[in-house]
Order: sequence, then structure tokens, then C-alpha cells
Amino acid sequence: MTDALPAGGDLAALSLTEAAAAVAAGEATATDLVRACLARIDAHDGAVNALIRLDRDEALQAAAAADQARAAGAPLGPLHGVPLAQKDMYYRAGRVSSCGSAIRREFAPAVTATVIGRLDAAGSIDLGTLNMAEFAFNPTGHNHHRGDCHNPWDLARCTGGSSSGSGAGVAARFFYGALGSDTGGSIRLPATMCGVTGIKPTQTRVSRFGVMPLSFTCDNVGPLARTARDCARLLGVIAGHDPKDPTSAREPVPDYEAALDGDLRGQRVAVVDWFLEGAEPAILHVFERALQVLRDRGAEVHRLDAPVLDAVATYGGVISRVEAATIHAEWMRGRVAEYAPHFVGRLYPGYAIPAHAYVEALSRRGPVLREFVAQAMGHADLVAVPTLRAHVPTLAETDLETDFAAHWDRHMALTANTRPFNYLGLPAASIPIGFDDNGVPVGLTLAARPFAEARVLRAADAYQRDTDWHRRMPTAVA
Amino acid sequence: MTGTADAADPVAATVAAIRCWSGITLPGEMARHALRDLEAMRRGLAALHGTLAFEDEPSGFELALHDLKEQP
Repeated sequence: MTDALPAGGDLAALSLTEAAAAVAAGEATATDLVRACLARIDAHDGAVNALIRLDRDEALQAAAAADQARAAGAPLGPLHGVPLAQKDMYYRAGRVSSCGSAIRREFAPAVTATVIGRLDAAGSIDLGTLNMAEFAFNPTGHNHHRGDCHNPWDLARCTGGSSSGSGAGVAARFFYGALGSDTGGSIRLPATMCGVTGIKPTQTRVSRFGVMPLSFTCDNVGPLARTARDCARLLGVIAGHDPKDPTSAREPVPDYEAALDGDLRGQRVAVVDWFLEGAEPAILHVFERALQVLRDRGAEVHRLDAPVLDAVATYGGVISRVEAATIHAEWMRGRVAEYAPHFVGRLYPGYAIPAHAYVEALSRRGPVLREFVAQAMGHADLVAVPTLRAHVPTLAETDLETDFAAHWDRHMALTANTRPFNYLGLPAASIPIGFDDNGVPVGLTLAARPFAEARVLRAADAYQRDTDWHRRMPTAVA
Repeated sequence: MTGTADAADPVAATVAAIRCWSGITLPGEMARHALRDLEAMRRGLAALHGTLAFEDEPSGFELALHDLKEQP
């Protein structure tokens, strides 16, 4: 199969890189793209509920300016004229950023996030802000204040969270790409459940300045889009050191798109048994089929175990719970009634974890990362993981406010295969590889060594050259 | 709190400790249920006793990230 997506006259069906190419070549205008996206939003967002705020007029004005700039021969950025929308936790000075909450319903930050500034400078068009879990603290897509976000493949099912609107909106062809944030799986879960591509970069790879915090040691900024090539384009724009975020790495940013050569010959892919424990047979079937695609491209796949993952799971849970609890402590003392009940239920245990356990989890992070790389990547370039071990649940099956005790375990299980990569800090992308028994997407996670995003994206792109799961239009919004 | 009271109702003891140290009161029954989940975390941490080295510290993570990156 070729890399090109069939447009069929529907501009919203183009991938992000195709849309950018169409504008650059004069085959479509930015105004055309914005209008195509607005038509999709008008037709289907009533059912999906991906957007919190739609800046229709501003987007059309920005598109007209982009078209004038092109006509005048101005240099074009890599995202010139491409409509995007962002999770409602990326600050733009003067614009409300609710963070999916009631507490920040009127919060208008004084600063603009570095990543938003970089996307603007690359020429993208900002359509508005997206639904998300309250303060990014939920893996399902529920939102008590803004209304739940619905999966475009089956409106009764979870979108995944916390970047629910990002995953659902990209899948529904409302825009060509979106930023998510990922502290325990919040990019990869919506990517897998909604059938799109998303990458959580290496910890410190992307600036977090002007981004709502949840866990300052495990938060990551990354893109969701339809293809690995799209994500390579977006990551290339947003990655790199930022003086405003002293934790951001000074590693040079490679040309991610240049790495997408389709060649997996000699690539060693490890399948770690720990990630398969308790996985549903239907998920394993789809996963094994995906591995065969990688083999057919020349990859060598082998299985191994990495016992250190038990420590990863334990320590990762300690850090994310303590940091989230700390960040919200003042509001938990004074404004607790303004949170959703399920939010405070999940947050509260973080106050009971001893400080020495938290410091131990931080102190062991480096040695545990070294152990994991030795165990899983000593003889492998990539690790392959089913992003979810089970099928995508319904919103009702994971609604903690209807039955907390009954739904708790299912809720917690959603992040079993995503959260470890946050503690480890490794780059991990999820790509669509088929459907579960309910016709809802299944995802494959590919992870690699620190700062090896190019290797991850190359493998993801190679897989997508031989499959068409990423091209499928969600059935509930067709 | 006494050791006897803690053993009899560890959740109540934890709720009291959180109120004492954080000034945060139990916000509802969901929170009480979620507290029980900490037992699995406690067991997980107990299983890791003996692994923390004297010189381990948080900055070791950034060093590991850079040490472990792919070599060109």
C-alpha cells in the first residue's frame, strides 16, 4: 500500500501531512480545510462531545490570513494552514483553559504554552479547545462537568482518557491532529480506543511550560494524529529544549520524518510476558497478527520477561498519586465540593502514602530504568505491547459514580500497560492494529530507549505502510 | 492512635492521619473504598525492601536517561 490516504474529495479525510502538502501545493486552501473540519464538527460533535470551545470565526480569519500569506509568497511552516485543536489544558494567554474542571471554568492564563507557540509559528490553525478528564486524572473519558466524551466507533464506549477529546476528535475527522498529555497513558489510551496514532515522548523531550500539571515528574506532552508520519511532523515542531522549562532536555531534535523509510530489517522487537498477563484471547490474536506484519517487514520478534516491571508498577503508582494529591491539596481543603465525586475518591489515597515511599520511588527510578533496559532491551531495539489487555469498556461499565466498588478494578486495569512507560520515562507510541469483538479499535504500543522516538515512529510508519487500520472511518460518525 | 486501634480499623486510622497531616477530611465513601487499594501498594513496596541503595537519589533518573540513549 502507498502512504497516500484516499481523499475521495473529502478534505477532512486527508492525513495531517497530506493536508499540509495540499495547501503548500495550492491544491487546497487553508480556508477549505477549516470549512471541511467545521462541517464534520457541526454534523457529529453533538454526539461525540469532543470540543469544549470552538473558535469558528477566529479559525476562518486565521485561515484567510494563511491563504493570503501563501499567495504573497511568504515562507510556509510545516503546518501551514492545517487545523488543529488542543486539550483544554494548554494555556493561551487570555483564553479560558478550564482543564476539564469546574474549579477553573473561568481561568484565563497570562502565559501561552511553549508548545502552543511552536505550533502557531509552524503555521497551524487553532480551532479551539478539547474535552478531557477533569484535571487529566481519569483514563476513561468521563467528565462530570463538561459531559462525557463518546467513542466515534461506538458512542456507548470509552474514548480513553485523559485526552478524550483529542483522540475522539482526530478519529472523527474534526481536525488533523491534537496535543494530548500523558502521565499514565493519557495519549496512548485515547489513541488505542479511538483508533488513531499517538506518541508519548521521552520524559523531558518536550517543554511543559504553560501546561497544566498533574505529576511533575511523569507528565509528558505529545501528539495524536491519524498516522505515524503525522505524529513525526507534530513532534518535530514541538520537541526541543525550552529555557522556560528547565527540566526540558538539551538533546538535539532529529528529523523524525526523515527516519520513516519503511525498513525494519534487522530490527529486534521484544515481547515482554509481563504485559500479556491476563490479556483477553481476542486482544492477543490481534496483537500476534500485528507482530507478523512487523516480521514480514524484516523485524525479528522474540519473547522474554522483565521481572523489574513489578517494581515499575508499584513505584509508578506511588509517584503519580502523591504528586497529584500534592498539587490539588489546597483545593481539596477549601473547594472539594467543586470536584467530581469520583475525582476526589481517586485522589484521596495519595495523602496516605508516606513521604519516604515517595522519595524511594523517585530514588529508585534511575536504577530501575537501567534494570528494565538491561532486561528488555539488552538484545532488542523495540518493545511491543498490547496497549490494553482487554476490550474497550463502555462508559457505563467504568462509571465510578454509579458503582465505585464494582467498577474500580476495571478502571485501574486500563493503565496496566501504559503507566510503566511513564515511570521509565521511555518513548512509547500506540497505533491501531485491528478491532476487538465489539468492533472497537485495538492498539499496539511500540517503545524504545530514551530519545529514540525516531525508531519508534519508523516502526509505526512501517506497520502502517502494510495495513489500513489507521485509514478506517469510525462507524458511528461515518 | 494506638497500635491496637490501627489493627482493628486501619482505614479509620488512615483517615485520621490524613486529617492530622494534611487538613483534608474524608470526602466521601468513594474515597474510603479507594483507600483499601493502598494495601496492594503497601505489599508491593514491602516486596521491594532491600533494593534501595544508600547512594540512590532522584537525580539518578536524568543521568540514566542520557546514559541509556542509543549511541549513533
